[in-house]
Amino acid sequence: MSSEESDTGWNYSAKGTTGQKVIVAILLIFPMLIFGITPLYNKDKPTLLGLPFFYWFETIWLVVSAVFYVIAALMLNRMEGGDSQ
Amino acid sequence: MNNYIILSVFVALFLVFVALGFGSSRFRRGDMSDLGEWALAGRKLGGYLAWFLVGADLYTAYTFIAIPELVYEKGAVYFYAVPYVGMTFGIAMITMPRLWRMAKGKNYVTAIDMVQDKFNSKTLAILLAFTGIVAELPYIALQIYGMQAVLTVMIGHLTTTDANIVTEIALIVSFIVLAAFTFTSGLRGATITAVMKDAIIFASVIVIIVVVPMRIGGFAVAFTDAKTLATGTSTLAGLFLNGFISLTIMSALALYLYPHAINGVFSTNSTKRLRLSTALLPIYGVGLALLALFGILIYAVPSALGDVAKYGAVTVVPSLIYAEFPDWFVGFAFLGIFIGGLVPASIMAISQANLLTRNVVKVARPNIDSKTEARLSKWFSVMFKFIALAFIFAISATYSLELQLVGGIIILQTLPAIFIGMYTKRLNKYAVGVGWAAGMITGVYMILDANFFIAHLPSLQTTFFKFATPFSFIYIGLIALLVNLLFAIVGSLVMGGTKEASVKTTKA
Repeated sequence: MSSEESDTGWNYSAKGTTGQKVIVAILLIFPMLIFGITPLYNKDKPTLLGLPFFYWFETIWLVVSAVFYVIAALMLNRMEGGDSQ
Repeated sequence: MNNYIILSVFVALFLVFVALGFGSSRFRRGDMSDLGEWALAGRKLGGYLAWFLVGADLYTAYTFIAIPELVYEKGAVYFYAVPYVGMTFGIAMITMPRLWRMAKGKNYVTAIDMVQDKFNSKTLAILLAFTGIVAELPYIALQIYGMQAVLTVMIGHLTTTDANIVTEIALIVSFIVLAAFTFTSGLRGATITAVMKDAIIFASVIVIIVVVPMRIGGFAVAFTDAKTLATGTSTLAGLFLNGFISLTIMSALALYLYPHAINGVFSTNSTKRLRLSTALLPIYGVGLALLALFGILIYAVPSALGDVAKYGAVTVVPSLIYAEFPDWFVGFAFLGIFIGGLVPASIMAISQANLLTRNVVKVARPNIDSKTEARLSKWFSVMFKFIALAFIFAISATYSLELQLVGGIIILQTLPAIFIGMYTKRLNKYAVGVGWAAGMITGVYMILDANFFIAHLPSLQTTFFKFATPFSFIYIGLIALLVNLLFAIVGSLVMGGTKEASVKTTKA
């Protein structure tokens, strides 16, 4: 198997230590998990600017998710190494 | 209100939009090296464009029209769009860099190209290509509904006698213009106009979300005025908890199965940039959340409610803008919403055309050259635009969102072949085919059952299926996907996996 072929992704496996992979997995799954457990945020109070918790929490969690995802992306990009931007 | 000022601003900006659309192809021809550097070299600006590229064709009339419409009509359950957006990019972070890497070097244009190699089956590829094409149709129709909503409010205030005819003519004219510049400029035209579209939308949403709550005395007032909505107002009614969760997860899984989303992914230049821009996309969703809240805000604005009563709930956002803002701003924001439907419709038609050319025509006639391939795709994209336009004149849906949710049920049936096929060789092509058929039959039957056989509704109104407690309402997409997976997985266990052809045969 030439190195070019393994780069095409058909046989790609991520580099990096097990610890790094676990951290990345948590960073990706945790925000999704919170969104998936709706009873967690299905409540009225506390309100923010007159918005019930249900609405403002989900909106703010989008921003929190993005932060988690970006950290995961930066870690994955470093694990991937190489030159391409 | 001076409605002619609104119209003038709208038309003037539309001309700018058209010029950008046509001009983008000349820009490329005139200075190809510069654009190559800008879009492909991967500096910060390049990453930013990638963000627009993937993000811009995902936030559409779905966001500006369909979600606010149903939050206004039915309440909290349709706020599912927010967790859906948060979740879908996490899924994309996991799946898309891998798909991108598989596509690289094999010059894949569609995800179905990968399926064809992986399962070594042209039949399965053609089946899934048509699934993608069909699933995009109601999604494009939704875009047209959105454009129509803006025109209805704008033209409705200008003339009452021939408003419908004028709206339809305006719609057809803009589609001809769109078809023409997609033909000449392709995805580049769509991308550059998408930047204009999003700049206008962002500016409008921020202004509106600051100004309107201040005028009406805060969000709390609107929530009080909204009283009791069917699925909950300030929180989600317990009966709709499963509906909310199933809509969220299924929509999150569905988005990156759509051919137009794959288009965006494949047009980025590296896995690293793809990852970073995907990671930032939930930020885009904040705009979606704010727009969804317009469905509640409008309850505190009586004159906007009057317009909605006259023109339909589909006009929640345009009516609110019309009621609260000066003429020039109304024209500005209306144009944003209008091209917010037009640009995605263009990208979706391009992706349909790619499927038809690459995975159907090219399979039947493998030796067509690349020039013919491109020419075919151009004409197919024109064709699909007008099929979608005909679709909307022929089919009536009570809520525009339901069109997109039907598209979701259909596209979800490609999940085993694409998302699972990406990772394993153990799926059997016949089992995947049978699973597809079982899922599709289940989905279509349940849609018909929920809308027409049980409730005898006059038009498409729901994609929930009502089960006995404790399940209550569940999105049909979930049921259909489970049936599909059952057949695909059990069948594969019985028959064994398929040998992929690609890795060995395409050693170039």
